[in-house]
Amino acid sequence: MALPKRIIKETERLVAEPVPGIQAIPHDDNLRYFDVSIHGPAQSPYEGGVFKLELFLPEDYPMTPPKIRFLTKIYHPNIDRLGRICLDVLKANWSPALQIRTILLSIQALLGAPNPDDPLANDVAQRWKEDEPGAIATAREWTQTHAAP
Amino acid sequence: MSAKVPRNFRLLEELEKGEKGQGSDACSLGLDDGNDIMMTNWNGTILGPPHSVHENRIYSVKLHCDEQYPDVPPTVQFLSRINLPCVSQEDGKVDPTKLQCLGNWKREYTMETVLLELRRFMASGNNKKLPQPPEGSTF
Repeated sequence: MALPKRIIKETERLVAEPVPGIQAIPHDDNLRYFDVSIHGPAQSPYEGGVFKLELFLPEDYPMTPPKIRFLTKIYHPNIDRLGRICLDVLKANWSPALQIRTILLSIQALLGAPNPDDPLANDVAQRWKEDEPGAIATAREWTQTHAAP
Repeated sequence: MSAKVPRNFRLLEELEKGEKGQGSDACSLGLDDGNDIMMTNWNGTILGPPHSVHENRIYSVKLHCDEQYPDVPPTVQFLSRINLPCVSQEDGKVDPTKLQCLGNWKREYTMETVLLELRRFMASGNNKKLPQPPEGSTF
């Protein structure tokens, strides 16, 4: 199977010039499928954690966005129990001008700026609105329990 | 050859099809444990086909997708008692050699493929007339 040039270029650049705190490595037997890890941003409840994700570039990428989800459990209003992520650039606001790199940066930014007004995990979002310090404390605990490097 | 969708993203597609109600009306499918990030165990139901002894019955099944799914088929086990040639009368397990889609599994098949084929099997030839255990009994 010939891999589109765009994907080859993106992969080469991800390896040659990695983004700080982000790693993406393609599987040997499926070059559209990546193991990803993202370090929790400083000054966020996810600081000190390393989160594993998986990313897949569908057949019609880059006309459709990459598919991506967390494999590490995380307490966040925009990430559900199966690790699915609610992020505009992964859905309606996707553009072929975006890349794997920019998407991973957006996800890292989402960790630094949870948005409980556009929730995917409703119970988490509600707690975030009603008791933000408590929610942040839980997010910190989960980071220590599930995302220890 | 087209892009090969990895196991987990395939299972997410199957889950979302169920969640959005885009699947067949004749069967349903959901995760056994909504917290299981590996999405291994599933619950399915099959609505008994019309014009058969199964009409109006609802059969519950368990499906198990191991790490090699969808390169290998799921294992399927009836929870509801049923008298059907491909189903063990001891524990409700479906014998993969006796159901075409399991025996000749293809990667593009889904769990819904299996549920719908079981339903067709219930409605076929002699199977639609087989005497059945009381409705609602379980293995």
